[in-house]
Amino acid sequence: MRSPFRPAAPPDPAILDDHRRLIRSLQRRRLIQGGLSLGALTMLTGCDVRRPASVQAALLAIRDLNDSLQALLFDPNKLAPTYPASMVLNPPRFNAYYDVMKVKPVDGAKWRLELSGLIGDKRPWTVEQIEALPQRTEIIKHVCVEGWDYIGQWSGVPFRAFLERVGADLSARYVGFHCADGYTSSIDMASALHPQTLLATRYGDDVLGDPFGYPLRLRMSTKLGYKNPKWVTAIEVNNVRPDDMWDKPGYSWFAGL
Amino acid sequence: MMRLAIFLPALLLNTSALAQSHTPGGMPPPSGMSLAQSTAMRFPQRVRVGSLLHRLVIRPVESQTVLGRVVQVVRDGDGTIELVVAYGGFLGIGSRPIAVPIDATVLLGTVMEIVAYTPEQLRHLPTFTGAGTTPLPADTVLRVGLAKPSH
Repeated sequence: MRSPFRPAAPPDPAILDDHRRLIRSLQRRRLIQGGLSLGALTMLTGCDVRRPASVQAALLAIRDLNDSLQALLFDPNKLAPTYPASMVLNPPRFNAYYDVMKVKPVDGAKWRLELSGLIGDKRPWTVEQIEALPQRTEIIKHVCVEGWDYIGQWSGVPFRAFLERVGADLSARYVGFHCADGYTSSIDMASALHPQTLLATRYGDDVLGDPFGYPLRLRMSTKLGYKNPKWVTAIEVNNVRPDDMWDKPGYSWFAGL
Repeated sequence: MMRLAIFLPALLLNTSALAQSHTPGGMPPPSGMSLAQSTAMRFPQRVRVGSLLHRLVIRPVESQTVLGRVVQVVRDGDGTIELVVAYGGFLGIGSRPIAVPIDATVLLGTVMEIVAYTPEQLRHLPTFTGAGTTPLPADTVLRVGLAKPSH
């Protein structure tokens, strides 16, 4: 039976002559290799496992796809579960990519919160100025990518109120954070404006302890623990994605819960 | 559908290969350092005795081996505060109480770790009898050091 896709008039074979060199350069063995690995490793969408860089690139592409889907599904008005005060763990759990003995406490008297990027009023903030802003308390779960979690009581300035106060461009795409220990993190604006996202200065009834981010840390109910930078010293609003420490090694950038 | 079947396993691979910490957290105190000095370097936090009771106690190793559960907090004749742990056994059966100084332990979220004793040393600790010690009431506030996760 004649294929319905067969063109009525076959193309002129002479066009092959124009590309003969290119056709010769196609290495048949490589085509076979590629075909075999595609068959054997459908999980890795056809990449050659003998080239770790290509495996990495494939996994990162899937991670980025995953991140885009999470951003698409994110509901800026949906609140994460909250809990009674009786369930709060006190003291909270310490975590960093280094040991607690290496924590360098921040001097609250000298500390300033620097602002940069698409922000109208870039004057730096002191601890007292931030504490004078309207506060909000959230009892939410901290979920770590490592598999553990705990319920904590965080108080501070709703991040949306802070961004509005400093005249940040709320239509910008990203908010970035720099920390006293060199940590960097960036989040999408929708998550930054979520009602439960806080610039936290207190835990339980006390001022935030040194190992937990004194004087200021980000606390979000909608993202994994590593997107909650501690000891924040600078905030940047930008349309170009600011640095994020865990983005490069392959962690989910969106890291939604 | 085919594309989904290809992506899903790869998504799993992508996330399961991740781990945030690369060094053990509950390191034993450096040689020559007293337990109290070691605790002082671990940002000791105020914690109620009542909130320590029944906590799991684990080894500061990646496998997070369970050593036992906190059953009591006592002050011994010298004034040292000790954590009494139902140690060993299987699923809580066959354990025996042992006492370790509170400064040999750290808080790790909802669990605790014993950082200054090897499993061998713990095995040879005498069974706690309570003689010469005073149990601390649940509302007593202690200071216990912190550690990062050991995995």
